[in-house]
Amino acid sequence: MGILGGIKLATRSVSRRWLRAFFMMLGVTVGVSSLTILYSVGENTKQETMRRFKRMVGTFDTVIVRPGAGRTRGMPTLTNVEPTLKFEDAQAIASEIPEIKQVAQAQTAFDIDVKYLDRTASPAVFGVSANWLDLRGDEVAEGSFMTRDDLQTLARVAVIGVDVKSALFLDESPLGKTIRIGEVPFQIKGVLTSRGAGPAGGSLDNLILIPVTTASRRLFNRDFLTMLIAQLNDPGRSDAAVQKIAALLRERHHLTASALDDFTITSPQAALTRVTQVGSTLSKTLTGVAFIAMLIGGIVIMSLMLIAVSERRKEIGVRRSVGASRQDILLQFVLEAGAISTLGGLIGVAIGLGGTRVVTQLQKLPSAVAWEALVISVLLSFAVGLVFGLYPAWKAANVDPIAALRS
Amino acid sequence: MSQMIEVSHLSKTHRRGDGTPVAALKDISFEISAGEFVTVRGPSGSGKSSLLNIVGCLDQPSSGTYRLLGEDVSGYSDRQLSRIRGRRIGFVFQSFNLMPRTTALENVEVPMIYGAGRVDRKKAFAALERVGLAERAHHYATELSGGEQQRVAIARALINAPPLILADEPTGNLDTTAGAEVMRILQELNKEGRTIVLVTHDNAVARYASREIAMRDGVICSDGAPDLRQASGA
Repeated sequence: MGILGGIKLATRSVSRRWLRAFFMMLGVTVGVSSLTILYSVGENTKQETMRRFKRMVGTFDTVIVRPGAGRTRGMPTLTNVEPTLKFEDAQAIASEIPEIKQVAQAQTAFDIDVKYLDRTASPAVFGVSANWLDLRGDEVAEGSFMTRDDLQTLARVAVIGVDVKSALFLDESPLGKTIRIGEVPFQIKGVLTSRGAGPAGGSLDNLILIPVTTASRRLFNRDFLTMLIAQLNDPGRSDAAVQKIAALLRERHHLTASALDDFTITSPQAALTRVTQVGSTLSKTLTGVAFIAMLIGGIVIMSLMLIAVSERRKEIGVRRSVGASRQDILLQFVLEAGAISTLGGLIGVAIGLGGTRVVTQLQKLPSAVAWEALVISVLLSFAVGLVFGLYPAWKAANVDPIAALRS
Repeated sequence: MSQMIEVSHLSKTHRRGDGTPVAALKDISFEISAGEFVTVRGPSGSGKSSLLNIVGCLDQPSSGTYRLLGEDVSGYSDRQLSRIRGRRIGFVFQSFNLMPRTTALENVEVPMIYGAGRVDRKKAFAALERVGLAERAHHYATELSGGEQQRVAIARALINAPPLILADEPTGNLDTTAGAEVMRILQELNKEGRTIVLVTHDNAVARYASREIAMRDGVICSDGAPDLRQASGA
């Protein structure tokens, strides 16, 4: 008997005993549907988190230096950081460390009202250097970005995010208009392309960029930075760069050997890896649960197949008498278990597709289906059928035809 | 005539549950020529079923040799024996042994799966026609009467055109009319040249045969023309 004949036999047997087949495939169906849903949702969550994280950070060939020790979360502002990181530090990093291509400087403040006519908004105000756009991977949608000239002349120009545009200007074009940041008038030079939501769900578009020199001397009157972003020549060598920056800053800040750093260096790449790891731990756990369901499904198949074998002893005897060898019987029962399990898996995939859709809509995730999970599910359910069908099939192959025919 | 079955010095020892050996067949020798119609008779426990199992290649002898169509099958593997069962032997059982949840036609097709490897539906239908059950082809086995079930079983035994038919009490579960019909078909098959070996208790069956082997306690106690006096007396 060939494999094809075996498959035919198996499907006929399944269709004639559909109720039992239904119960046999139940475990696998539950396992596969949960595997599909959990894996797809886990994968979607992970990718969405990564997307949001990337939107927030912009580029990955950078390291970020912030004043103060142990600061990795939250946005530093002029009011909550130590005044240790200076403009000169940024220049020194750019000129003295060969691994660094360029350094962007930033002063940030959150609690300043921005006014246009009678409308008010309170976006984050960023004083930044002219290379900010480049290092963040941002783009200007309308108008232009600030230039080196603007920085040198302490020009009062601003580039705004789309949230600010819609809050202050409604449908009007903001270009060339004058707004007041605090009490200081700024002329709007450009509007940034929208970045969308950040990892926590908040908007990344509620901000105003102004030249950092203007910010330092005309608006905030502070001579320290809240953040600097150093771009690496070779993103693969961020560790070496981080060490050199740390050494340079310690020297410049006259820190003794026993003193802690008065700054914090973070690498977006490392942070992304951490974020991704959290996601994958979650989906690994969930996938493990689904595998246990599959295991239970397999055991259900095995026990019901064992019952089926003892009930079908006569059939086995007949088949043996008309020329079926032990191997033929083994093949028939293994394929039957495989067919039932695969069918259960396919039904599970169908349920899983529906379930993934529901869950992703509830959680407002993109409802991408992890196709590899589907393929794995179906192959896995076939394998479960084969493995757990093997012992009952071996039992079937060893039924004594003489006794079976006489019963 | 060429020899269909050659059995020489055949013994079969079963082991009981507690391990004590029981001799079912003791040094049996006989031959059956192609085209013979032989009944094997004897009380239960006489060894006739053990003999039939070995002749049918469902079991192997403990010692001695068994040749089927000149081929010594005594030491054959499960695979080789299965092949022989599929191509050279057709079985008919007392309890019909049709498969449930399976139509008459599908039952007849089963041996083709293992013999030719390809199911020929027309051929299966022709075999059912042959036993007069063409119109019942798509009925499930459980929907057929005993006589009809046994005729389906005969069609199944015939499908791979085996030269040897082994029947174990084929009329044992049938009424007289149905039994006579089954015997008539077997006789017809014999006339076409098939060798028939039939195990029975039934005296009425004996008159269809040209030869009767009687067994008692694992040995053959008589072998010759059927005792028709006994047959008519039953």
